[in-house]
Amino acid sequence: MTKGCQDYRFSRRAMLGASAATMMGFQIRDLLAYAGKDHAAKAEHVIFFWNGGGMTHLDTWDPKPGRPTQGEFEPIKTSVPGMEISEIFPEFAQQMKDVALIRSIAGTNGDHGRATYNLRTSYQQSANLTHPGFGSVVVSEKESISDLPSYVSISGRASGASYLGQRCEAYFVGSPGDKDPYLAFPEGITKARGNKRLEVLDRFNGKFAGRTTSDELTATKTSVEDAVRLMRSPALKAFELDKTPIPTLERYGDNPFGRGCLVAKQLVEQGVRFVQVNRGGFDTHSNNFEAMRNHGEIMDPALASLFEDLRETGLIDKTLVVMLSEFGRTPKINDDGGRDHYPSVFSCFMGGGGIKGGQVIGSSDKDGYQPEDRPVRVADLHATLAHALGIDHNKEVMTPLQRPMKLVDNGAPIKELFG
Amino acid sequence: MVRIWTCILAVSGVFLALGSHAFAEPTAKDLNRALTAENAKLGIDVKPRELVGDLGYLRRVSVDLIGRIPTREEIDQYLATPAATRREKAVDKLMADPRFVDRWTTFYADLLRLRYNSPGGQAALAFVHQAVADEMPYDEMARRFISANGKAGAVPEVAYVLGDNADPMALAGVTSQVFMGVRISCAQCHNHPFDKWTREDFYGFAAYFGKTRRYENDFTNTVYTQEVSQSIVLWPPAGEGEDSERKPMNPKFLIGLSNASVTPDYIARLEQLRKPKPVAPKDPLAVAAASVDDLLSGADERVKKTAKGKVKDEFDVAGEVKAERESIDLQAEFYNSSELRSELARLIANPRNRYFSRSFVNRVWKDLIGRGIVEPIDDFSDTNPPSHPQLLDFLADEFVAGGFQLKPFVRMLVLSEPYQRSQALGVDSLKREELESAFLAVPARRVLSEVLYDSIVVAGHLFEYKHPQGANTKTVSERIRIAIPREGEAVSPQALAAGGTQMKAQMGTQIASTAGYSLEKGIELDFGAVLKSAKEKAEEAVVVEKMAVKSAEELEAERMQMQAGAGRRMRYIYKTVERTFDDNPIFGSSFRMASPSAPEHFIRVFGQTDRTEVGTPRDHAPSMRQALMMLNGGMTHEASRVGPFEPMHKLLVGEKSNLNEAIALAYLEILTRKPDAEELELATSIVKDGDTLLDGMADLRWVLLNSNEFRYLP
Repeated sequence: MTKGCQDYRFSRRAMLGASAATMMGFQIRDLLAYAGKDHAAKAEHVIFFWNGGGMTHLDTWDPKPGRPTQGEFEPIKTSVPGMEISEIFPEFAQQMKDVALIRSIAGTNGDHGRATYNLRTSYQQSANLTHPGFGSVVVSEKESISDLPSYVSISGRASGASYLGQRCEAYFVGSPGDKDPYLAFPEGITKARGNKRLEVLDRFNGKFAGRTTSDELTATKTSVEDAVRLMRSPALKAFELDKTPIPTLERYGDNPFGRGCLVAKQLVEQGVRFVQVNRGGFDTHSNNFEAMRNHGEIMDPALASLFEDLRETGLIDKTLVVMLSEFGRTPKINDDGGRDHYPSVFSCFMGGGGIKGGQVIGSSDKDGYQPEDRPVRVADLHATLAHALGIDHNKEVMTPLQRPMKLVDNGAPIKELFG
Repeated sequence: MVRIWTCILAVSGVFLALGSHAFAEPTAKDLNRALTAENAKLGIDVKPRELVGDLGYLRRVSVDLIGRIPTREEIDQYLATPAATRREKAVDKLMADPRFVDRWTTFYADLLRLRYNSPGGQAALAFVHQAVADEMPYDEMARRFISANGKAGAVPEVAYVLGDNADPMALAGVTSQVFMGVRISCAQCHNHPFDKWTREDFYGFAAYFGKTRRYENDFTNTVYTQEVSQSIVLWPPAGEGEDSERKPMNPKFLIGLSNASVTPDYIARLEQLRKPKPVAPKDPLAVAAASVDDLLSGADERVKKTAKGKVKDEFDVAGEVKAERESIDLQAEFYNSSELRSELARLIANPRNRYFSRSFVNRVWKDLIGRGIVEPIDDFSDTNPPSHPQLLDFLADEFVAGGFQLKPFVRMLVLSEPYQRSQALGVDSLKREELESAFLAVPARRVLSEVLYDSIVVAGHLFEYKHPQGANTKTVSERIRIAIPREGEAVSPQALAAGGTQMKAQMGTQIASTAGYSLEKGIELDFGAVLKSAKEKAEEAVVVEKMAVKSAEELEAERMQMQAGAGRRMRYIYKTVERTFDDNPIFGSSFRMASPSAPEHFIRVFGQTDRTEVGTPRDHAPSMRQALMMLNGGMTHEASRVGPFEPMHKLLVGEKSNLNEAIALAYLEILTRKPDAEELELATSIVKDGDTLLDGMADLRWVLLNSNEFRYLP
């Protein structure tokens, strides 16, 4: 039984830190998982879109036709009757039967840093402790089912794993589709020569380890074995796009976002648990509409293609897709044709992964200033994701200072999303 | 101006003389005696491990004092010294090495959580570097960081307060943990369940920071702190009473200082040490009656002048700092000094505050010996007593009596028996624990990530060019996409499609392709990187800059902007281009990199923290990422290759070739020891197995660099 993020840590500190979560290496989670489940979790993987900068809610998932705050875009009909989204997503609009929109997120932070922290961790930033990003939480709880790292972050960084340990950090892919030089022998070293080196190294380290009983040396050996397994894994091709037909690339859009979506899909197909796809440029203090039209043109075909392909491969039921941003933007349009930071109410979508799609959760008031029906707290979003994955969001883990922390900051899953 | 300068130098000269020589240095023998006595008292009756062998000692002490393994020349010189004085001579030489300053700057940077990318962080790093070079006493350094006010970058020490956004609650927890090893932050929200601190204690301590505010001037893009009259630390805490009843909390210090009416020996020695030179004392009684505090404030002034006159070193950013400092001094009054924090600094960095000296010596002990006398090192409390209280007090007393000087203290430690003990090999873990907990054997200790990096570089002769120019010219192919121009549009550089080529065109040479590292290096050289300093050219440094300058999200946003100009959905054609570059890399010292590094950087992957959360130790657990970086990284690869300019080359090629000597040299350069007969045999077969002896040697060196023995200290 291996943990999602390979556990190399045997230090006393790690033992202390993990003691709440494990018992002599046995995961209490695994023992409990089959005992008291109240919902048959379907989701096994997450594709987590992070739109940095604060994406406008009114020009995406929560249009306000005929109101002074409407802006330049019209709503369009989607494949689900009565569910309308902004005109900048014409293709994605056809995928709404698998997608739920949440229009009543009540945020509390208008500062990028604090809001990003909150949306990514479910916690409020505090001075004394850094909380792990949600991806780290997922891979600390879901066992690894692939040679590939369980947690991959594309086109930007994910939040750190903090007290969940380095093993739960994201594997970083800077430019989706490009080869990672660390995954193959250095240039000029043939496979035969590289393998020979590895053999000799194993003998050397064996001799060194024979002198002592250090757990860390055993762990080093494991880490090298894991690295070699990864290097030799056929699954590695999931990181690359050089074999991908050009028409497929163009269907997603041959840009970092489109390629990121394609790589995310390929990684999930190979068993990766959590893929974060980052995109920036949503801090539209000026020229909001031009910028959002551009964003739409990049994101719309990629999101539509991703849902189409996930459905085609049958992965849609096991793959939770969610798009978050740190806050929304002011309903009032400023003098520069922009919208400013606005946390009081904003939107997101969740789809696939057993989520009941084709519905809208909550609403904002008529101009998009405040939540009207069913306000959703930020931590509720994480609790919902955890619930969909069969993770107990209230489970406590110990920080290095022996302070028990819940996996999610007291959220409640959005029940309507589950059948 | 010239006159002022001379005056400052004169004063600093006096100060340095005081700092370095004017006291009886504590000796390692005293330390050994203290440990032996306490072990006897604790009833520990096991035979200590032998002292580590000469070469093992040199490797250990080089890593600990100058942050890299010794070179072949250093080994030769060491072995040529008479055995009786060998170790002491080596220590003296290493302590005088400029790299000692680099290595121990990192110690303080970790302790104080200095971040180059936080307000004033670069200046603070440069300041600490200078302070270590100037041998500024630790109490002085601590007082300055705790009490500083001013503009980020101009007053380097203010980075400490700004690092936690001048938040009193955060600073209370951080300050007590960093400078006294006392964890009180839990008491912010509730009375501590296992400890004596109450919420009221916490608020009283936080009140020292209550009048400090952080300001940000968007217009001039400056950040600074200032003192205001109204404290924001109110009691009772928010939500626990009517707001109207909440009153500013009175500052209250947590720790009882030792009895002022008694002058223990170490205080007397400190007072003696810090007694001002009798420069015609007009009133002898005044000097005699000088209190510790008076002496301390005198030291303040001297160090201030020293630092001002001497902000000059080889550290990258010091030049900027100096320029900025000089222009800012006139504005100093604007920021006010913080009376509350000056008072706090005096209480914390006080010779009578046992927590201050004990927590520091325990940290240094842990760093050098691998196990703290108190563990975790920043958790001093009644429920977590030291394993050797008398030893701890001996160390703390000597540190105080010696004027809070790092160097003599480190010297005493590395010459002591507990430092020099061998590891407890070949015994079960119970026995090992018994020996290690009594400091009769040292634990296995992995080197710092910076040390690992620099050791690869020095063992692989990568600090200087080892191949002739042009000898390794390589051509690589790269598939790029080029946007198809719309009718009537030419292909502009901006219209080049996404990917490395475009980013490079836009950002210049520092942000090259995000593709493979060899390609980055190629592009870097293509664009005139040859003219740049060696440090910038280091492959890993390029990665840092690339990540630090702009995030992927920002790059993507900029790319979007460009796409907007070039039209809607773009179409591309694919083209394979070839690039030629000279593959002859050199690397700089990682101790001189902007720190902390980017999260995916070698230095971080091997354990450097991001220095945000207080009390996070370096994680020395192995990980797959580490393995991949060592197995396949460009640096290990380049270090393994044999260059014609290194001594190894002529032992493998030409008339003077001698395989046995070559293998012995590889072992010496990489593992600081000679191979035994069995190893020599295996190594010979590896080297001969290569296509050429040079290739075979590269394979051997790769294996040695990747071995556990390389990463763990002897």
